[in-house]
Order: sequence, then structure tokens, then C-alpha cells
Amino acid sequence: MGRWSDWGYYEPARPKPVKDGIKTKSQRGEIGETWWSKRWIGVLHSFGMGARLDRGRSYARKGQVVSIDIQNGIVTAKVQGTRARPYSVKIELKPLSEKDWDEVTDAMAAQAVFAAKLLSGEMPPNIEEAFAEAKVSLFPASEKELDTDCSCPDWANPCKHIAAVYYLLAESFDEDPFLIFKLRGLTKEEIIEMLREKRAQTLPEEEASRVIEADFSEEDSAVPPLEECMDTFWQAGEALDSFTVNPTHPEVDNAILKRLGNAPFTVGKHNVASLLAKAYTVASSAALQKALGEPQEE
Amino acid sequence: MIVLHALWDNIAFGKLHLWAESSTLPAITPKIRGRQPKKPRPHPFALAIDPLKEAVGSLSESLIVESATSAVLPILLPSARKGPLPSPELIREEIIEDKDEIVLTPWYIDTLPLDPDDALDFLISLPGEPPHGVAFGSSLCFWVEAAKFSLELITRQCFIPTINEDKGSFRAVWRVVIDEEDSERVQLLSNSMPPSCRAFLPQEEGRAPSPSELLSSFINRTVDAFVRSSLSSMSLLPTRRGRRVVSLSEQWLKALSSDDPRLEASTEEVGSFSQEIKPWLSQIQPTPSDTPFRTCFRLDSPDGDAQEWKVSFHLQASDDRSLLVPAKKVWGTRSGVITFLKRRFENPQERLLADLGRASRVFPAIDESLKTARPVEVSLGTEQAYSFLRQSAPLLEQSGFGVLLPPWWQKPSARLNAKLRLKPKAKARVGSGLMGMDSIVAYDWEIALGDETLSPAEFEKLASLKVPLVKVRGQWVELRPEEIEAAIAFFQKKHDGGEMGLGEALRIGLGPEVSEVGLPVIGVEAEGWVGECMDRLSEGAKIAEIEPPQSFNGQLRPYQIKGLSWLVFLKQFGLGACLADDMGLGKTIEFIAFMLHERVGRRKKSWPGPTLLICPMSVVGNWKKEVERFGPLLKVMVHHGADRLSGKAFEKAIKKHDLVVSTYALAHRDEELFSRIHWECVVLDEAQNIKNPSAKQTQAIRKLNANHKVTLTGTPVENRLSELWSIMDFLNPGYLKSAQDFHRNFVIPIEKYRNPTRAETLKRLIQPFVLRRTKTDPTIINDLPEKMEMKVFCNLSQEQATLYEAVVKEMLEKIEDSEGIERKGLVLSTLLKLKQVCNHPAHFLQDGSKLPERSGKLIRLEEMLEELLAEGDKALIFTQFAEMGAMLHNHLRETFGCETLFLYGGTTKKQRDAMIQRFQDDHRGPPLFILSLKAGGLGINLTAANHVFHFDRWWNPAVENQATDRAFRIGQKKNVQVHKFVCLGTLEERIDEMIERKKELAESIVGTGETWLTEMSTDQLKKIFALSRDAVREE
Repeated sequence: MGRWSDWGYYEPARPKPVKDGIKTKSQRGEIGETWWSKRWIGVLHSFGMGARLDRGRSYARKGQVVSIDIQNGIVTAKVQGTRARPYSVKIELKPLSEKDWDEVTDAMAAQAVFAAKLLSGEMPPNIEEAFAEAKVSLFPASEKELDTDCSCPDWANPCKHIAAVYYLLAESFDEDPFLIFKLRGLTKEEIIEMLREKRAQTLPEEEASRVIEADFSEEDSAVPPLEECMDTFWQAGEALDSFTVNPTHPEVDNAILKRLGNAPFTVGKHNVASLLAKAYTVASSAALQKALGEPQEE
Repeated sequence: MIVLHALWDNIAFGKLHLWAESSTLPAITPKIRGRQPKKPRPHPFALAIDPLKEAVGSLSESLIVESATSAVLPILLPSARKGPLPSPELIREEIIEDKDEIVLTPWYIDTLPLDPDDALDFLISLPGEPPHGVAFGSSLCFWVEAAKFSLELITRQCFIPTINEDKGSFRAVWRVVIDEEDSERVQLLSNSMPPSCRAFLPQEEGRAPSPSELLSSFINRTVDAFVRSSLSSMSLLPTRRGRRVVSLSEQWLKALSSDDPRLEASTEEVGSFSQEIKPWLSQIQPTPSDTPFRTCFRLDSPDGDAQEWKVSFHLQASDDRSLLVPAKKVWGTRSGVITFLKRRFENPQERLLADLGRASRVFPAIDESLKTARPVEVSLGTEQAYSFLRQSAPLLEQSGFGVLLPPWWQKPSARLNAKLRLKPKAKARVGSGLMGMDSIVAYDWEIALGDETLSPAEFEKLASLKVPLVKVRGQWVELRPEEIEAAIAFFQKKHDGGEMGLGEALRIGLGPEVSEVGLPVIGVEAEGWVGECMDRLSEGAKIAEIEPPQSFNGQLRPYQIKGLSWLVFLKQFGLGACLADDMGLGKTIEFIAFMLHERVGRRKKSWPGPTLLICPMSVVGNWKKEVERFGPLLKVMVHHGADRLSGKAFEKAIKKHDLVVSTYALAHRDEELFSRIHWECVVLDEAQNIKNPSAKQTQAIRKLNANHKVTLTGTPVENRLSELWSIMDFLNPGYLKSAQDFHRNFVIPIEKYRNPTRAETLKRLIQPFVLRRTKTDPTIINDLPEKMEMKVFCNLSQEQATLYEAVVKEMLEKIEDSEGIERKGLVLSTLLKLKQVCNHPAHFLQDGSKLPERSGKLIRLEEMLEELLAEGDKALIFTQFAEMGAMLHNHLRETFGCETLFLYGGTTKKQRDAMIQRFQDDHRGPPLFILSLKAGGLGINLTAANHVFHFDRWWNPAVENQATDRAFRIGQKKNVQVHKFVCLGTLEERIDEMIERKKELAESIVGTGETWLTEMSTDQLKKIFALSRDAVREE
């Protein structure tokens, strides 16, 4: 692999393998599946670190990252290189000031969509607009906003160790898009809380609501143990006689897939959800045929 | 017999274990000393694996048994010291033992384990009624319902793919999704699970699974197995280029559609893959139903001429769906709690916001409103409103949101409809005999919106708007694109109408059908007699009551006059009638009155031609008797027996008669003779005899020519659909379409799935042609006396007649030479023998020979019991002979497969009390109680029965009445029917006549017993004992 001239000047290209390292899920093609993580990688590329970034990708795939820890404003990681001990990587993103966050959440409070999407677990698609309105940026606007450090001897920035952590961060964003808020200094919950306060501020004072306790707890329908069922041991409940079954095609075809929306996976160009549609149609028809006692098509 | 049970094993991948109890295996296990053992012993009467396989194999068409293995399972059953108690479905010889302490004891049973896909297959294909000699235990019936439910969930696409982890290995599986409505049904099912389904002996340390755990495992496993196998011949993956690396998504899709569900990857990889799938799948979790409120979307139609539709947002109380808190009020609340009409809503704003975020996935138009700070509603154009109605609304509902739609939506009048206009083809007078199901009716289709007919021009104008929702005359209507196309095609074809039979017209008019036009039929407008017919056949229409004919010798009860009027009414339109009143309400006399009515006001010469009555042999004599009694004007001819008429002689003879009575057997044998005649009316009594459409006698009967057809039956036809089809197809051929169509459209949906809409449709279709009143009908009950006594006249079988004559001959030979005590003894012993012969040849011969088809009385008893058991009634059967009682006991138990009690002189008091208690208190308990007149005639209370049979006679009304009063006494809530059996042409009929003639006399003379007979002269005895041959059954 290595060129002869690497000899003696550079460390050997093969890093020490790591047992139980953190591997990226994606083992080929691009890393990052949601528009969100793609945006993160896109932003980094836009800083012109393309070639250097790519070097970290295979590191990330091989699982050279031993550990990663994301805190408000700072990511620390251990990345195994060629040396015996893993290198320490630190990536800092400048947190927004309290004032900035105040303005951002003001912008968010003006549109219900932000709270609605955050509360239902999604990243609002126009989230960057809210930041733009406060004249700040959610993603780093320039490379300067990223303060990075690695204990390796390579002085290229990003080195492959930092780059590997960038990629793992992308995948972390797939799983939890709100990590980016954490890097900017607030958790999702803190933002939701701020939004709640802002909604309240804009409202007229009203009397404290009376609190009336209502009991909604369901009655516990405990099942008697077998020992207490001697008299009814062989008896089905009478309701069974009137239990009705209505095998029929659904009102809306593939309703469940429609409610789920696109899956976080694709096979080739196809989203997994669209590939599953066939299963619903086929199984439903087969079951209807069986229910009506019609011969099964082979 | 065997009783088949089923156990679901929820461990690992799930198995359905079939096992059975057998009535022929010993009930008890060798006694053991000391305490009940803790270790399981072999169940003494559980079926061994080989006969079990055979029994299951005969039940199921599929070949599952071939490949099935076997298992031995420990289960817990309520047991006495001697052995496990049998399930109530198992009918055993022994009389119930005194109860000693009943405890749960472990037993080993042989089982036939089925994999989930085989289990589903087996349960779905089980016949509704088990074959003779098999009963379905409640556990099996339970899993059958659960299996149907699984199948329904698949047809409705209520399942999702997911990943299961089990001890470090991962499997791709399908899992059901239960929405709110279904979860109530799951709850209902799980609450109905018989405890016997939980009989599995828990594994050491383990805990017995709860009903809901068992049910949920069963549903998930069977659904997974079915979906998987239905996909086995296809691939969910896109056609692949030759790539070697298989991503987990690909593996997952593959494992979901093959019989190997395993995923091959490291724990970590699959773990993180499933970490990502889960949030995706969890989006369909409905909002938990235990929250006190949910988000609700209300669609309002535009006001006036505006085109702006609005969907407004609300919070809706879960326990009171009419309680809506508008979004505006929610935004106006400062605290984290909102109270509205005494309801308390916590964090309402977050809830509403989160829900709006979630809802926008299936209702993207919401996004627009979310651009404001406090969204309260979203405006929609007409197209969007339509897509909301058709697509988003159901999806929102399934996601657990409330949805309120305008009231006109989905009303049939708010759609394009077809209307049928009918005109009689030929002018005919009602009642002229020129009408019938096949009368030709001219028809024309019209297209209508709501009630208003649309002209082609009006329709074109609507269609050109190209919008799915249109306001017509102030009313919103839905124009489905596919229906617009159907209507365009209809107008293009310039339908000039055509002709159809009255039957088809009625079917369209009565049942909802999709017309040839491709639109739902909203109404039928008919002119002339067709209109009159339609109006009067429609539900709730009053039929004019007619005057009962003067010539009817007796008093018709009010409901019987209604029945008569109804028969007359259908006759006018040439439509076949099925009179299906309960046993004992008087179908026979209603029909006799009908025949008399047909002859009222006509001179004998112009009387209608002969009517052919086909009935079971067992009631031939009864019919003749009843016609002679109630309609003496009618000439009856019985056509049966070896010396019956044939050819020209028959044709000549029938012209002199009004009613020809013959049997089902002869309908086939004399088919050629009968089908040559054009009958005025063909009437079938006990019409359930033609339930098998392919039987020769049924086919022969269908070929008979008649102006009019009537069937009489006492069985609940509406519950026996194949029988109903057969009867209707005889009465009004083609009306219910072919047997196959009927099976698919009605029998399967109704019998297997209890589909209420199909049942409703069928009811509407048959309602004009079937009149069924039950004894418990409030309109009937007041017309009925509390106690009705009826004679049931039976015919002797050939065998009985031969034996009878031999006994009489023997007596007559001896009597000349005997006197005094000897003569007396001879008469009494002859009397006894003749009574035995009348009961059953085997009773007389005492030879333990077989019982079926040998005694006229027994045949009739079986027929009547079948009807009353189908009604859910209970009966007492009295006989004065303990031997006869014992014979009936065994025979009826086997014939009807139900538990039967027998009380006689040898019954201990303890047993007697136990029997009475079970008969009285347990509504699922034994429905038949046989009592010897001596042992059961006094003191006891058996008011659970509403039928009393006197199989043989004591000739002492006081004794018989005392027996009858077991059922007819304080505490009886129903009318009691008393059936006294009398053999025609025998001493039974003669003595019955004598007693009837001089009732008062009889009570004083006969009251003392039967010795008065011995005082008679030889000539008198000859007359009383002699057999009239014409009352003998045709074999």
C-alpha cells in the first residue's frame, strides 16, 4: 500500500486494529442517510477540506474510533492510529450566546411548525431559517467556528483522526438530529422549554386554572389464577358467541406505510418503505382469499 | 365420541397443540393412596397420538397431519381423586359421581403440535359444525375465533415488519398493529378465553402465561407465518445487479419474505440497525388511549357560495367525544393545565403541537398553518378537501386522532346513484295468476343525485366541472371519478332499457346492489301492478287482513289470520311463500284455511285444481286427520303404500280431490307421475327435507309444475343458510342466484364471520317471502294459551304392523277359550304387548336391536326434538316403561350429541336431585329429560322445559296431567306445549277417540286404570285392537 518514500518519514499506513471500535454502519458509498447528516458533511466539504475528509472515512468504517463523547459545545474522542496509544481528538463548536439563542427561539416561536416538529421528534426542515433570522448559523458558517485538536503528529487539519470523528458525528446526527443543538449549547428539551415560556409570555394574564382531579385510570381486570377457575374451567366467555370478524380490504391501501413515511434506509435507489408496499398487497389478497374459502393462487 | 381441544404454546416460535378426550376410554385411573400426586400421570381418557392424527386428518382437507410430529405435554385439569373431570362436551355413559374434592391435578396428554402457519390453516378450514362423533371443545372454538381475527388483521393490512432479538440472535418478523377499535376486540377475546386454554403446566419456576399474553403471541405468530408464506414465491428486493455485499436493509427484506427469518450480522450491527428502525416504526403507535384527551380535526363545508373548506384543530376528551376544546382556547392558556367542562388537560399546548407535527405526515396541508405561531385551522380548496375526506381522514383516525366530518359525507344520497324505473310488460290484474317471479318487467335506468333524477345535460354540466365535490341545490355531493366515468359510459351507450324478470327487479329493489350502470342503486320506481307488488313487499308494509273462511271448522287465532292473509297476498302475485312459524303455532291449519279461502265464493265446478302436499311419512296421518277436522269441505287423498294409484287411475282420482298427500320418498319414486300434472299448488311440509340440492328427491321436487308454491317448516331457516337457499330456490327459482353465488355472498360471510351487513342484506331479501313467528314473539304470546295440548298422530312402520297383527291374531286365537281371570290376563298382556309394538319393535322384542328408522313414533319424536333443540328449548319425555326410557336415553343422546337425563324407579334420591338441579339451573346443561311416568310424575319442578312429550299413553288424563304439570306450574315463563303421541290405525287411536267422545265419562271410568278394557266383549275388543292397514308407513 504505502509508497517507498513514506518509509521513515510517515507512520506506516496500516493503523493498529481496534477491537470493539465504533464503526460506521455504512460500509460503502456515502456516510449519513438523512438530509440532516448529509448537510453536515456538505458544510464540511464546503470549507474545502474534501480530500482530507475522505482520508478519515475509511478510518471511521474500520472502527478506529475507540470512544466518542458529545457534550455541550465539545466533542471528545479517542482514535486509534498506528501508535500503541490512541490519539485524543477534540472538536469544539462555538456555542451560541444566550442572546443569540433568545433571538433564535423568538424566531421559532413565531411559527408553530418548529415546536410541532421538535415535539414529534423531527428536525423542522426549515430550522436554518430560524437561525438565519437571528443572523447566526446552526451549522458552522466557516471553518473558523470549528476549533479542533488532535494528539497525532500529522499537522494537516483535519487529520484523518479528526475526519473520522466528523463522519461518526454525521451518523450520530442520523440517530439524533438534535445533537447539533447540543453542540451549539442547548438541548432539545431546553429549546422546547424556552418555546413554551415564549408562548406564555405573549399571552394575556388569566386566572390560574382550577385543578380538578379526574380519575382516568382503568380498572384493573386481573385474571384469576387457574385454581380459582374450577367451575368455569371449560367455559368460554359468552361474548365469544357474538365476536364478529370482517375480512376486508383496508379503506386506504398501504395505510400503515403512508403513516410511516419514508424509511431511514434505502436499497439502491428504492426506499425500503416503497419496497415493502408489495408485501402488504400480496399478503392482504392471499388472506382475503383464504378467508372467503377460495382456492389459493399458487 | 371425541372432544377436540387446543392449547397454544407461546414459548419460542409458538405451537398449537391439538388433543382430544374420548368417551370410550376408561374414565378413571388406578387409585393411589395418600395425597394427590404432584407428578403428572397419563390422562386416562385422552386420545393416543395415532387415533388423534386420524381424527384430525378427517377434519381437515390439508395434509398437515402427514408431516406433523407428536408431543407429550403436562397439563393441569380439575380432577377428582379417581381421575380428571371430563369437559362438558364429552358425553359419557356413567351418571355423574358424587362430588369429592375437585383439585387441579397434572396429567400427561398426547398432542399433535402444529406450526403457526399450519395452525392458522387448520383453524380456518374447520367446519362450523363438527361431524358426527366429534365435538369441539371451548378451547378449540376460542382459537378458531382468534385465527379468524388474525386473518382479518392481515386482510386489513394491520401489520408491520420489525426485528426481534432473542438471546443474541436477531430475526426479521412481522408483527400486528392493533388500533384502538381492535384493541377493544382483543380485550373482548382475551376476556372470553376459557381457562382450559391456560392448562399448560407452568415450567419449573415459570409462571403460567396470562390470556392476553397467549392471545398476543398467537396473533403475532400466526400473522407472521401467514404473511411470510404468502410472500415466499416473490422477492421484495429490486432486481439486483451482481453485488456481493448485502446490506442489512436487504437482508431484512429478504428475511421477511422467506421461511428463514434470521439476520446474519454482528450483534452490534443489527443492534444499531434495529435502533434506527424502531423510531421509524414507533411513529405508527397510536396515542395511548389512557390519555384523557387527543387531538381532533374537524372539517367544515364552506358557507354559502364560498369555496373555502376549513379543517379546525381541537382537543377532544377521550371519555366524551362530543367535548371539544378549540385550539384557540388551548393557545390562550398560560398554565400547563387547562380545565374545560370539568375535564383536566395537562400540557395541552405541547400535546397539540406534537400532534400537529405528527399529523402533517399524513395530512401535509397542515404545514401551511404551522407557519403561524398559534395555528387554529387550515383552509383547503375543494380538491384538497376531497383528498382529506378520502385519504387523510381515515389515516388520521388510524393514527389515533379524532376526525369529525360533515354529516352529509358518505350518505348514499350525497353520491351519484342509479335509479331503476319499472313498468309491467303486459297488463295483468292482480291475482289473475299471470304473475310470478319470471314475469317480464320493462326497465329503464336513470342517473340521480340524491333523490333527483339528472338529465344528460345536467349531468354533463356537473361532469365538466371536473371537481370531486359539488354543491347541487344547496347540498354537497361526492362525484367519484370512477363513477363519473361509469355514468358517461352509460349515457354514451344511450341505454334504452330492457326487460328483466320480476325476481331480478325485486332483488335490486330490496337488496343494495351495484347496477349494471356501475353506480349504487338508490331506489326503484315502479308502475302498475309491479309498483303495487314492490310497495307491499317492502319491509313494514301492512298486508290487508282477510276474513277467515266460514268453512273453516274452528277458530283461527289473530296471528293465524295474519299468516293466512300473507299466504293469500303472495299467491296474488304468484310468489312462493315460506311459512316458518315455530312448532306448535299451527302452520297446518293456516294452510288448510288458505286452501278453503281459495275456494270461497266459487262454485264447486270452478274450484282450483288439486294441491300436492309432500311431507315426511311421519306426518301423513296427522295431515289427513287435521284436514278432516278443520276443513271437512276439502277432499283429501293419501297417496302412498303399495296399493297407491298410478297412471290414468291416479290422474282421474286426483281430479276428485283437493289435496293429495304424499311423501318425500315418493316424490322421487313417482316423479314421472307427479310431474305430468300441472298442480294448482305444491306445498312442502317440513321443507328442510330438501336442504340437499343434489339429492334425488330434491331434484324431483324442483321439477314439479305448479301455479303456486308454499313451504312449511318449523326450523329456524334464517340460521341455516344452505337450507334457506334450497327452499327459496324451490319457491322462487333464481331469486337468490346460484348456490355458489349464495355461498360466497352470504353463507361464508354470515356463518363463518357473522358479518352483520350481509346478514342484514339477506334478511331484507328474504323478508317478503318468509314469515316466521316464534312462541316468544310478544305479538304472539298474548294470542297463545299458556298450555297447548296437541295430539301427534304417527304411522306404524311395516315391521311394527306385522308384529302388531301377529299379537292381535294370537290373542284372538286364545280368547275364545278363556274366561274370567285368564281372559282378563290375556287382554291386559295383549294390551301391554301392543303398546310396546306401537312404541318400538325393539321394545316389544326386547332384543337390544338397533333403533333408527323402525318406529313411526320415534321418527316423529326425533323430527320434533330437532326443531325444538334448534330453538334452544328444553323438553320432558314421559314414558310409562323404564325399558323404553333407557332405550330413548341412549338413542337420543347419540343422535343429538347432547347430554340427556333419565329418571326412573332405580334412580337414587341424590342422583335425582342432582339431575333436577342441572336441568333447571344450567342453561347450557342437558336439554332433554326422559322420565318414567311413575318415578317422575310427582312432586318435582322442571319448569326449564317448555315441551312435554307423552311418548306412550296411560289413558288416564289425570295421571298425564300430573306429569305435564312438572313443566306447567308456577315458575314457568313460557307457553307449554304438550305433545301426546298416538299411533294411527291402532288401539291407541281408538281409545283416544273413545276418550275424546265421552270425556267426562272417561274420567270416571278410565280413571281407575285399564281394567275396563277387560270387561269388553270379544267383538268390541276386535274392533279396538284391529289394525287398519292404510295407516302403515311406506318404507
